[in-house]
This record gives sequence, C-alpha cells and structure tokens, in this order.
Amino acid sequence: MPDSTALNLRLGIASLLASGFLFFYAIPRFVSAPSNINNIVLSPLFWPYILSVLTALVGLGLIAVSITGEPEEDGFAEPGPMLPKWGRLAALALIMAATFLLLPALGMVWTSMLAFLATAFLFRTRHPVAAVICAVLIPLVLYGFFAHVAGVAVPQGNFVRLP
Amino acid sequence: MSLIESLAAGFALVGNIEAFLMLFCGLIVGVIGGAIPGLSATMAVALALPFTFSMAPINGILLLLGVYKGGIFGGSIPAILIKTPGTPASSATILDGHPMAERGEAGRALGMALYASCTADAVSNLALILFAGWLASFAMNFGPPEFFALILFSLTIIAGVSGESLLRGALSALAGLLLATIGLDLVYGTNRFTFGNPNMMGGLNFIAVLIGLFAIPEIIAMAWNPVAHLGKTRSLGKTRCTLADYLGSIKSILRGSLIGVFLGSIPGIGAAPSAFLSYSEARRTSKNKANFGKGEIEGVAASEAGNNGVAGATLIPLLALGVPGDVITAIIIGAFMVHGLQPGPMMFILNVDIIYGLFIGLIISSVLLLIVGSVAIRGFRFVADVPKRLLMPAVLVLCIYGVFAVNNNIFDVGVMLVMGWVGYLMMRARIPAAPFLIAFILGPLLEDNFRQAMLMSGSDPVILFRGPITWFFWALTGLTVFAITRSTLRKRVPLS
Repeated sequence: MPDSTALNLRLGIASLLASGFLFFYAIPRFVSAPSNINNIVLSPLFWPYILSVLTALVGLGLIAVSITGEPEEDGFAEPGPMLPKWGRLAALALIMAATFLLLPALGMVWTSMLAFLATAFLFRTRHPVAAVICAVLIPLVLYGFFAHVAGVAVPQGNFVRLP
Repeated sequence: MSLIESLAAGFALVGNIEAFLMLFCGLIVGVIGGAIPGLSATMAVALALPFTFSMAPINGILLLLGVYKGGIFGGSIPAILIKTPGTPASSATILDGHPMAERGEAGRALGMALYASCTADAVSNLALILFAGWLASFAMNFGPPEFFALILFSLTIIAGVSGESLLRGALSALAGLLLATIGLDLVYGTNRFTFGNPNMMGGLNFIAVLIGLFAIPEIIAMAWNPVAHLGKTRSLGKTRCTLADYLGSIKSILRGSLIGVFLGSIPGIGAAPSAFLSYSEARRTSKNKANFGKGEIEGVAASEAGNNGVAGATLIPLLALGVPGDVITAIIIGAFMVHGLQPGPMMFILNVDIIYGLFIGLIISSVLLLIVGSVAIRGFRFVADVPKRLLMPAVLVLCIYGVFAVNNNIFDVGVMLVMGWVGYLMMRARIPAAPFLIAFILGPLLEDNFRQAMLMSGSDPVILFRGPITWFFWALTGLTVFAITRSTLRKRVPLS
C-alpha cells in the first residue's frame, strides 16, 4: 500500500473514532443543555453534534480516497536512523511538561533559564558558552520588559524573587 | 464624518513619532524574521503580538502590519541567497532568484525583489483604501443569514486551498470549529467541554492557540532534525538592479500586483498561490520566456510582486467584513481583539480614526520598506549567521512569556504547549494549520449567526437562502467545492 494512502487511511479511521467518541460519549456527557428547549436547532448540543457528524463524513471521504488513492510521500517516513529523532522528541516533550509544572514553584525567569539551557543542549548547540549567556540574559530581559514596561505580574516562584 | 474629517482624525492618531517608530521597528523585525529560514513572517507576527498589549491600539497594529510586510519581503532574501524560502510565499522567487545568485548576480536579484515588493505593496495599499470602505458600506446590509453564508464560504475556500487535499483541509477546519465550542454556550450559558475547569469557561485563549500552532511546531521540528536549516549563503556580487531592469519588468510587476490584490482580497488564498500565478503569467507573456527558471530577473519581479500584492489586500476582508484573509491577518485580528476592537463594517463607523490612521500608516510603510529592505540586503549575512539552535530555545522562552502576558494565566502556557504538539502532528500528517486557526476564530461567529438566523425565522432553514447576497455566497461555496474536487480528480486520473 502506498504511504500516502496509509496516511489517509489512518486519518480517516482516526476521524471516525473521534467522531464516534464525540457523538456517543463526549457530547452527551460534557455538553449540558437546559431541559426546557423545545427546538433542537437552538440547543447548545446542536452545533457539536453537527460537527461530529461532519467529522465522520470527512473520515469516510479520507478512507474512500485511501482506497482509490495516489502514491505520495508519507510525512513520517524519512531516511536515516529514527531512534535518535524520536528520542529527542520525547525529551522535548519532557522539557515542555517540566517547564509547565515548574512555572508556579520556580517562577517564570528561573524556569525559562532552565528550559532554554535544556532545549539548546538537546538541539546539540555548537555554542555552549553563548547558550549559557543567552539562557540567563533572555529571560531576564523579557522579565524586565513584561514586568516593568507592560505591567504583567510575572510569576516569581517560591525561592528567589526579582525586583 | 466626511472624508476630510476622517483623514484628519487618522492623521491625529498616527501623526507622531511613536507611531512611525513602531512601524519602522515592525518592518525591521519582519525583515529579520522573514529572512531567517524556519522563523517565517507568520511566526514573527505571532511572536511580536504580545509586545503590543501595552501599546496604544494604533501603534500596536502598525507594528504588526510592519512585521507582516517586512516578513513577506524578508522571505525573498534567503530564497535568493541560500535557496531556502524564508516564507512559503517566497518559494516562487527561488526559481529565478537563486540561479541569478549562482551567476554572481544576487545583489541585482535582491534589488529587483525589493523594488517589486515596494511597488506591489503600494498598489495593494491603494486597493485597500479604495475598496475596504466600499465593501464595508455594502456589508452594512448583511444580517445573520448573510454573515453565516459568507463565513461558510470563507471556511470552504480556506479548507480547500490551504493544503494539498480538500478533505484534510476540511478535517483541519472541523477540528478548529470543535475547539471553538469549548466554553460557556453563547445563548444559554451552559457548559460545553469545560470539564469543570474554570480556566476553560471562557473558551481557549486565542493567542495561546495561535502561538502554539505556528511557533512551537518549528521548535519541535528542530528537535526532530537539528541540522535541517544548514545551507550555503551566496555573496551579493557586484551587479545591482538598474532603472532599466525595473522598467523592463514593470508590466510583470503591475500585473503581479493586481493578481496579488485580487487573490489577497478573497479570504484564504494567501500569498504563495498569488506568487506562482503571477510568475506563470509573466513567463507566458514574456519575450524572454526561455530564460525563466534559469535566472531571469523578470521572474523575480513577477513572483515578488505577486506575493507582496496580497499584503494590503488581505486586510480588505479583515477590516470590511471581520473575516481574516490569511493566517497572518488572523493573528492581527488578535491585536484588534486585545484592544477591544472588532474588525467589520461597524468599525468604519465606530473607529473611523483608527481605520484612516491605518491607511496612512500603510502608505508610509511602502516607503519605509524601501529603506529597511536596502539595509537588510547588505546585512543578511549577520542574520544568516544567527545560530538556529540558540534561536529556537529563545523562541520557546519568548512564547512562554508572551502567552502568559495575555491573561496572566499559566493555564494558557499549557494550552500553547499542547497546541504546539497538535500543530506538529498536523504538520507531519500534511494537514494545513491555517483552516484550523481561522475556523477557531470564525467558529463562534458562524454558530452565533446561525442561531440568530434560526431565532429570526422560528427555526426555518429557508432563511439561510433568503436573498441575492446569500444566494451569491452559497453559489460561490458550491463552485469552490466543485472546482477543488474537479482539480483533485484530474490530478489523480493520469496515475490510475
């Protein structure tokens, strides 16, 4: 099976599953509507239901296209070893999750410094000294602008507070 | 308010050094952003947006428009010098620009790119000034059924032409519409997909979604392949673009400008198709058609005029109808919303001073672009030498600060990071992100107008076809679907 048809097939199946999940589980459970609405068209449920049905139709279309499809390059298939690439993606996901979780405790400036350093070294920077200098300076300059010029209450964290 | 009074009100807003300075800074940031491969004009505008929150509305919007126009031109610099388009719109410029650079005529190609860009930009601004007011006064006759049909048409064309497949574009638009349903219901105030989280009751923050979709995926892409950006920069060479070169290409420049104006004023088409259409028209009609693709200066002129011709015209549907013409104007709509302004026909009545201030600023931007562009061409080597593996971590930090600054809310940072991964997956699955973002912005408007129309008619759907304006938009929607489906089927026939 050509790569593009596989991609369309995957997308089509994912769309159908998402549509089924929305129609049978998420919309009835997570969208509330007042009980006294006589006309379904005006209900808060109507629009999400329409969108989930349309998603299913697009999913069917993608599956139909994949059956009669033309060969194209798959976006995920690339030459070269894949393991290091997936490893770096996983590491970046961890850095982003840690950044989000550390923001309230460490504060935006210190968390950003750590995130900068971790990301630069993940990208195998050829300028380690410049990376450390930028990791310190950029969050500080942005803190200066947003806290003192734009008047944003930048989170300071529980440990070291900046003026 | 008369025209003279409106102009005077506009001058009063922008007739100060701060407004010009913001426009100038915006152009510099845009040219640098557009010139760095992997950063793009879209990302430059998205990253500049948070810095405008503390500015006066007109200054903030002028800064973003400067970034937009500078970014579109800036994209041509790496396209010519390192065969890597800084923005997708500059892809057509590579065809003749890079062969010229290989011959040692990069300075000549870049000079022509600049002059064609400034000319097209001026024509596009003029079209905006002439047509936006007229379209806005026409749109004053629109009611909910007309706006519903217009938005549906806009979404259809955006879904159809943004990517390589109508179905994937439609899937992207549907995902954006679904995401827009999160929050309290517009009419009854009941919860929709809020999961009991108070942060989600107002819906997902638009700026977090857009920065997540357009900036974070580039950072993730760098983790996938940290050396993808490396390329060889060509020198400028000794030849420069002369007046004779410019006059020799003037027909292609003007034709490209008009193509840009026409395609730019249709929501969703954007700069890249305009550049390619302008290029192919220039090749078809030129007496040097055999040289196209081998380093013909008229080819550079045509593609640059085509992509810059859309810059002012995309603001026509934005200002007159409140419908963003492309992704960048979708981001600029964010600046309007942050400052409590709602683009659309009513803005021509309620905020006419801002409208005319923008018109004046845009005219001046074409002249400033000439100055900034001339310097940028010579300084590109410094921009090209910025290590991308330090730039992308800086972009990440900038995104975190910028998104937090919108609502002082860490939850928005989480939304941005999650949307970044969604955007990256879409990029890898070749699902265009533009329909997603524009549907996310227009989703509440589409639903609101639909429900208002149903309330007006006692739920009779016939109201959605009530007059010539709705018929016109429904016909355009049908034609768009038909044309895109036919062109897709035609592409597939030779392969079967």
